[in-house]
Amino acid sequence: MSKYELPKKFDYKDIDILKQFITETGKIIPARVSGVSASNQRKVTKSIKIARFLALLPYTDMHQ
Amino acid sequence: MKKYEAVIVLNPNLSSKVDNFKKDFEKLLKDNSFNIVKTEDIGRRQLAYSIANHNKGHYILFNLEGDPSKLLEIETKIKYNESIIRHLFLVVKEHNGEDSSLFVESKNKKPEASEVEKDKEDVKKDPEPVKEEDVEDKSEAKQEEGEDNE
Repeated sequence: MSKYELPKKFDYKDIDILKQFITETGKIIPARVSGVSASNQRKVTKSIKIARFLALLPYTDMHQ
Repeated sequence: MKKYEAVIVLNPNLSSKVDNFKKDFEKLLKDNSFNIVKTEDIGRRQLAYSIANHNKGHYILFNLEGDPSKLLEIETKIKYNESIIRHLFLVVKEHNGEDSSLFVESKNKKPEASEVEKDKEDVKKDPEPVKEEDVEDKSEAKQEEGEDNE
């Protein structure tokens, strides 16, 4: 049982789903901590990085 | 022919002229023999971090079909368009026919009328209240300190 909500297909626009996989400071949670499969972790990482570029998610909590 | 998903973040001060921009942009796409499958006007959104001193952006999402060689011309035009603060073209295998979660979210919010006008006021007013709160907080903190000393 995973405490994370995993979609069928990861999308950079599903911010609520991606927010589960970043810490309060905006870092991506490592798979060894979250227990997400390697394949899913790659997809999560990619989507988060796209969402960051579009200012949908923060890179850090130090943004002014 | 490749399938693309394009996200464009517009200067929030031009929100009222979005329709004009859309026409211009669609014309630019059609001139480069791009086929527009779907457009989603997500609207104004809070940015996670400020881009070019903007705290809000007007997001528009396009589903496109077109030639990779023509994309370069479009991107150079976008680069010199100052009303676009950020853009991204992504190659996708298949277009997702459903509305994106961002669009659904913005739809649920939209019923509030004249939101755009309110937002403008907010943008202007925002910096001041924050400062005031800060000042208050500090003064309170000082008072507390003073009390402690007494």
